[in-house]
Amino acid sequence: MEKSDRKLGKVFLIFAGICIVALPLIVFTAFSFEPQEMEMTDVQARNMDFDSNGKAIFVNYERISKDYLEGTSTARTLDEYYSRRQYTGSPPFIPHKVEEPDLAAVDCLACHARGGWTEELQKNTPITPHPDQESCRQCHVTSSEVKLFVETNWMSVAPPRLGRAALPGAPLPIPHDIQMRGNCIACHVGPGTVATIRVEHPSRGNCRQCHVPQTNAPLFERESKPG
Amino acid sequence: MDITRRQFIKSAAMQSAAASAAVLFPGISFGAWKNIDSGGIEWKKTPCRFCGTGCGLLVGVSGDRAVAVKGDPNCTVNQGLCCVKGYHSIQILYGKDRVTKALVRKNGQMVETPLKEALDLVASKMQETIKNHGKDSVAMYGSGQWSITDGYVSSKLFKGCIGTNNLEANARLCMASAVTGFLTSFGLDEPMGCYDDIDHADVFITWGNNMAEMHPVLFSRMLANRKAKNHVLIIDFATRTTRTSQAADKSIIFNPQTDLAVANSICYEIIRNDWVNWDFVNKHVSFHKGKTNIGYGTQDHFQFNDKEEPVDFEAYKAFLEDYTPEKVAKLSGVPAKDIKYLAALYGDPDKKVTSFWCMGMNQHTRGTWINNLVYNIHLLVGKISTPGNSPFSLTGQPSACGTVREVGTLTHKLPHGVVMNEGARKLAAKIWDVPVENIDPKPTYHTVEMFRALDRGDIRFMWIQVTNPMVTMPNLNRYRNGAKKDDRFIVVSEIYPTPTYDVADVVLPAALWIEREGFFGNSERRTQHNEQIVPMPGDCMSNTWQIIEVARRMGFEKQFPWSEKTYIEDIWNEYGQFHDNPKHRMAPYKDLKARSGLQWPYVNGLETKWRYNPKYDPAAEGKDFDFYGKPDRRAWIWLRPYEPAAESPDSEYPFWLNTGRVLEHWHTGSMTRRVPILHRAVPESYVEINPDDASRLGITSGSKVKISSRRGSVTMKASINGRGRPPQGMVFVPFFDESYLINEATLDAFCPISKQPDYKKCAVKLERA
Repeated sequence: MEKSDRKLGKVFLIFAGICIVALPLIVFTAFSFEPQEMEMTDVQARNMDFDSNGKAIFVNYERISKDYLEGTSTARTLDEYYSRRQYTGSPPFIPHKVEEPDLAAVDCLACHARGGWTEELQKNTPITPHPDQESCRQCHVTSSEVKLFVETNWMSVAPPRLGRAALPGAPLPIPHDIQMRGNCIACHVGPGTVATIRVEHPSRGNCRQCHVPQTNAPLFERESKPG
Repeated sequence: MDITRRQFIKSAAMQSAAASAAVLFPGISFGAWKNIDSGGIEWKKTPCRFCGTGCGLLVGVSGDRAVAVKGDPNCTVNQGLCCVKGYHSIQILYGKDRVTKALVRKNGQMVETPLKEALDLVASKMQETIKNHGKDSVAMYGSGQWSITDGYVSSKLFKGCIGTNNLEANARLCMASAVTGFLTSFGLDEPMGCYDDIDHADVFITWGNNMAEMHPVLFSRMLANRKAKNHVLIIDFATRTTRTSQAADKSIIFNPQTDLAVANSICYEIIRNDWVNWDFVNKHVSFHKGKTNIGYGTQDHFQFNDKEEPVDFEAYKAFLEDYTPEKVAKLSGVPAKDIKYLAALYGDPDKKVTSFWCMGMNQHTRGTWINNLVYNIHLLVGKISTPGNSPFSLTGQPSACGTVREVGTLTHKLPHGVVMNEGARKLAAKIWDVPVENIDPKPTYHTVEMFRALDRGDIRFMWIQVTNPMVTMPNLNRYRNGAKKDDRFIVVSEIYPTPTYDVADVVLPAALWIEREGFFGNSERRTQHNEQIVPMPGDCMSNTWQIIEVARRMGFEKQFPWSEKTYIEDIWNEYGQFHDNPKHRMAPYKDLKARSGLQWPYVNGLETKWRYNPKYDPAAEGKDFDFYGKPDRRAWIWLRPYEPAAESPDSEYPFWLNTGRVLEHWHTGSMTRRVPILHRAVPESYVEINPDDASRLGITSGSKVKISSRRGSVTMKASINGRGRPPQGMVFVPFFDESYLINEATLDAFCPISKQPDYKKCAVKLERA
């Protein structure tokens, strides 16, 4: 009798122990349910480009859940995307409020390295293609004023046109510069991306096997050799 | 009509996005930029127009317009990264109110005038002033944002041809203490190290230097080093909490001016714990003292000459007895344990330490001294001139080093040496093809005294290029009133209307950086060339060519013979003769044109990364170090005491006023405020107040506050717990906004050795307005 009591007590104790350990985990998982996001911690080199960071990009790609890859809940349009930029490729401004918490650094990467749903803005967070850069507000600034100090005559070239394949049905070339934007999946895959430029086949990881940068180089012509 | 699920989600999402964006930013239109119709972009290299970091940019050109920017991956400075100012720098070309025609004041009104006529007037007015009031009644005030050739031709015209030493540049307000610090400690100007130190160091200590905002690309390089290595420490030693403090591993706040005492206390601790690198000190260091109680220069005609006296190590040790950590803790507000911690970091033989500083130490009434004192620390432990061990004085402006310090556009300087030195005068006269008697051996006015002379009437004519002194002069009311006096003639070469433009009698339309060919020289002795990338608008002309045009009109055709096609290259080749020795040889024109910046001394096609170290420096002799700038071939440790600021808070004016910059704006904002994204990020200036002071005074964030000093007052909005946080008893105001001229309140006290004013310390009171 005494023995079985002790046994029961032991079982109960173990169960309680498991509860104590598991409860926060369960609660935590419940609250952080939203799509499995990207892990970008492996990327170290600065001003990352696919050519020098291919491995890190693959490792990160491997870690992304299927749910995230196929996520389509985006609210972003290409117009909105370009309206935050002064020219194609310029750092966009920050379109939401940034509190400067008292004496603490603002951690942009807490959301923008991995993506996911934000309750506060009711949106999926876009992901930075260069999470190796920590001093985010060196390039990305907020916008608190509408009126300009002086009007400007600024102009730039039109954003690249989409869908310009060399042959009907051929893979599209990469129409933009890839300096600091070498990680294709950051902007072209997942629920935080601009719908128009989201790829329809996110499960293929090696983007640049088919998509190559488009340049203005003249067509190849063999140099004529004397004799 | 079929609507797929996806399309439905898409359109619903679009609407909600537009709605939420409109809620967040009412009135911001989502139309993209105006398009230019053309085929493709061509990328051209240039250094950035803004700070002294000297990032390499690639500017995208389409037709005759600059349309995009990316970081130059070939430039070792930034390796492809820029900051928000750099990425949008080309937009400074396109403000609607760009000055493109010459203007001349006629009956009180500025009237558009043909450029030739305006240049005629500048030349004849200068000649007339010289005739009536003597050669020292005309002056030129230039800039650390001058291209190297701008500074060179001004020096040749004023010092060589006209024969007056009335040539100064705004770098006097920015880097003069760094220069006198280098000269007194090492005998030669400019850092021994380079930015590669950032990749090698284990510990970074920033002395009054908000690098996260002021040198953001270098700060990012520092963070990248920390991220890669795990053991790297960043310590922010400052008078105010900033973004740099937030990113640092430790933030240490000190009372204004007491950095002098803390630096001495660190040395006291290094000696007490015997962390001294004796081998280095015995072979490469000598000890010296100078005058004390040296004054503050607030009176007109203030004169000071230091007197050096050699001493020994024992005298130095005895001098430091006043600076025990416990005593200094009381004065500085820095706990003794933090002083000991800093000393232990510098003293640890296994750690490579880099110190960074800029305006906090230079804009200081003891600016030369505090520069000396930080060198003292590095010299005691021998952490200098090797990768990662670097006392590093950062520059503020893109060519403060290249143009002002190397060309010598200061009253006492020549492109090589000083006017007081006969050999230097002879060399200049020979290269310039002028009689040696032309070059006056006596310096005239440093910047503050030059504007005082303008106010007094000793100077009647001043030509101002690439700077905005009617926003930046301390004690501004006096100097603006002086410039506006009836018989003063002010010529301003400008790109946009500014408060300095407002006091001009003639405005000459200037070409911007990439609208003309030129050179900058950055903080790490790197000379950077840019070609003309886009055409100049209207009648705009490079500053160099404006000076040449005026010089020719004054009869100096022989000294300014170059053709408009090749003058930049020709001037470079002539200027190079001044530095033709292994200590300072500059890279040839064709190399500079081909590459993204090259560091001098540039000898036999090789750059010099670390000076005074024979392993890297072709001018250094011997085995380990050779401080060849001083006659004893040693670096000098100086006995420099703590002395109080020129004006400290008291019962009537109980707050320190500290002024400075923000990341988004360059200096007086005349360029960056015309860049939409930068203006929208920080549309107006503000006063940062400590939250406890604010609640005591009943001031809330955004409410108006009147800031008054004994000289002037400004009413502006309060910022509490905003970007930076001053400690109790201090307020901080960014100076970029011409609507809130905070320099009407600042004090024109300066370091008696460098003559650089202190913009970081004067006394003010606050009232709700």
